[in-house]
Amino acid sequence: VSALQAVLAWYSGFVLIFFFAINSYYLVLTVAGFCRTLRVFNEVRRPDQRRLLRSPLTPPVSVLAPAFNEEANVVENVRSLLMLDYPLFEVILVNDGSTDCTLGRLVDAFDLRRSARSFEHSLRCKPIRGIYESPSYPNLVVVDKANGGKADALNAGLNLSLYPIFCAIDADSILEPDALLRLVRPFVDAPGVTIAAGGVVRVANGCDIHGGRVHAVRLPRRALPLIQIVEYLRAFLFGRMGWSTGNSLLVISGAFGLFEKKAAVLAGGYATDSVGEDMELVVRMHRYRRERRQPYRIGFVPDPICWTEAPESFRVLRRQRTRWQRGLIDTLLRHRAMIGRPRYGTVGMVSLPGFLVFEMLSPLVELTGYLLLPVLWASGLLSPSLAGTFFVLAILYMVLVSALAILLEDVAFRRYPSVKDLGRLLVAALLENFGFRQLTVWWRVRAFAEYLRGDLSWGAMEHRGIVRAA
Amino acid sequence: MAPVLALEPLTNAVLGLAGAVVLLAGILLIQRTFAFFGNSRVARREPILTRVVYDALQSSPVSAEPLARLNRSDRKLIRSILLELALDLRGDTGEAISQLYVQLGFAQKDIARLKSRWATTRANAAADLGLIHIPDATPMLLSALDDSDVRVRQAAVWAIGQIGTQETLRGVVRLLGDRNLVVAHRAQEVLAERGREVAQAIVAYAETTASRAGRLAAIQLIGWLRLTTAADLLLGYTSDLDPEIRIKSVKAAAAIGDPNFLDAFHLRLEDPAWQVRCQAAKGLSLFGSSDSVPRLRKALRDRHWWVRLYAATALAEVGPAGEEALSAALQDEDAAVRDMARYLLERGDMVPALP
Repeated sequence: VSALQAVLAWYSGFVLIFFFAINSYYLVLTVAGFCRTLRVFNEVRRPDQRRLLRSPLTPPVSVLAPAFNEEANVVENVRSLLMLDYPLFEVILVNDGSTDCTLGRLVDAFDLRRSARSFEHSLRCKPIRGIYESPSYPNLVVVDKANGGKADALNAGLNLSLYPIFCAIDADSILEPDALLRLVRPFVDAPGVTIAAGGVVRVANGCDIHGGRVHAVRLPRRALPLIQIVEYLRAFLFGRMGWSTGNSLLVISGAFGLFEKKAAVLAGGYATDSVGEDMELVVRMHRYRRERRQPYRIGFVPDPICWTEAPESFRVLRRQRTRWQRGLIDTLLRHRAMIGRPRYGTVGMVSLPGFLVFEMLSPLVELTGYLLLPVLWASGLLSPSLAGTFFVLAILYMVLVSALAILLEDVAFRRYPSVKDLGRLLVAALLENFGFRQLTVWWRVRAFAEYLRGDLSWGAMEHRGIVRAA
Repeated sequence: MAPVLALEPLTNAVLGLAGAVVLLAGILLIQRTFAFFGNSRVARREPILTRVVYDALQSSPVSAEPLARLNRSDRKLIRSILLELALDLRGDTGEAISQLYVQLGFAQKDIARLKSRWATTRANAAADLGLIHIPDATPMLLSALDDSDVRVRQAAVWAIGQIGTQETLRGVVRLLGDRNLVVAHRAQEVLAERGREVAQAIVAYAETTASRAGRLAAIQLIGWLRLTTAADLLLGYTSDLDPEIRIKSVKAAAAIGDPNFLDAFHLRLEDPAWQVRCQAAKGLSLFGSSDSVPRLRKALRDRHWWVRLYAATALAEVGPAGEEALSAALQDEDAAVRDMARYLLERGDMVPALP
């Protein structure tokens, strides 16, 4: 019994240290991300930076939008993409074997005609059934192909693309008109060196959207998407900005990322057997360059914005979170040889170990921590007052990190103009710790089992139709 | 067995964290309050001051008299109004803005800020001086080209591009080979806009520089600016040993479109680098010479897709002889050749803009 108690005590100490370490990790990332954001903002505001539309160095971009059963919003979304402020770009919408009227809607709306367009077979993809172009919209191409998943659709789009830079987006997302122009800046400043750049993905639920544009930023009424806004700020905005500081960013969201086509193709394109294809590609690009000792930069730009719909039901959220976790596990296991190897620089020594411990394994530690509490209590190692105090401490630390992210958002962006909105975000930062966090931990633990079973499913996102026609 | 945790340090930590959360919420509230008052003031004063600025700009000669006795925050607002106006206005109004900016003492302050110990301040000052077009700042901006901070050099290059004379622009040409890529690219952008004024310097730089990156950038500029005076130089570079130099020079030659390049383009259709073959085919599309058809037909069978695309596009541009060649290619045994020919024949001139 005393040996068991000693093990329990040892493990409790480990959980405690882990708890402080993970929160400090988020705190440091948030602060590092904020400092970098301010620096970038200062540069962007300078008049000499407002030149990209006229610069001969601004590269043409192929926008790749894979779509699966998106008939409700696809026409509006393509219209919005065609209206982007950018000197030269093409939109390639890949209809990934939709079973609804996605293709028919596009054909009718854009007067599409079947084209004999020839293309380069750089990457493998499922058979292409037809290519459609429009005399009225010369920069629009619609590819109709057999269903093969998002990665396969992106590979097909890459094969069809003509331009040296491509932008991967979700067909159900909304780009701000100047988002592409802002995101391309690192490619203009250092062409050939910058191989990828990620933009900010924000939650569109609650916003006033029509005509494929976000006209007023508002918070959603429901708690679930509201909490996700705080999460996105903490992890996807300042977290990623923080990682980009040392050229060690591992994730560029599949909803909005810009890549050098040559670098992506040389790295092998998107992995069709991974559900975390966005992260996997970025890690593979790091690996490819580091192994060949080629200089490169993968950056994150804080001002271009892509709006996306966050899940509003627990069922869809569960699918999303388990998929993210499976993608993370898959990527880290595929590239495990990079972890802790100085050859891979900051990626191998800092970000991959960080992701392994604080992103992949953390739900296991957190869950065992929750399970341990009653055991410790029963064995007399933890008094109720001590357990309660620790619980409050844990919540406060997490609220502190979230509140800091909200404050930094307000200083740098102020996308939520009313004080009431700020108050709601702070309440969401607190509420997140009562149920939401525990649920996501449980889903992420379950993802391990799904991964071991070889589950590669995406699960369908159910849209409530935030992107309405005008 | 002793408990795994002691209560007292935990309680202290809870209190500390609670304090930090409250402090953050307080900071948030305070910063919102300040922002609210600041924004309200700007919203109230900006229309009034904008009107005063417009009046001052329209007076002849431009006089800063009505703006001379404003308080500090109004002066700050006036400065930002002038900078915003300068972004959109050029010509006489641009000159008037510049005069007003000088009369109000902002230019002097910006010149002083160029010596600040903070790189951000120096970079902002350089960019503002360029935006407002203050020629007196040129010597200081030229010194800023050698600043240790890349942001300052970047902003200074841009500013010189805005206000520089021929003489100062020559100083920018040498930056095409700057050790920092960002600065080199900024110099290239500036010269893409005003390079015609220093065309000779660019051509001379492309010929003499020891910097490979600088030479490549200069060759690219020659193409963008269509400097026909560099035709002989480009002809020489089209057979350079360095494939990058060949790619850039054939591309530049294709942009210029001088008939003297015809033979060089024919020759380069056989180049070992596929990018050179692409650019040679692109160049041939400009001349529409039927002499090129047999060579382009051969290029249509190239192993590289991009060369086939450019060759087919060039054939489509050549006229009846080219279209005939494309029609003949529809019977080719190679499916890739047939596909490409069919695409071009169907689309005609609707082929999207090629990179």
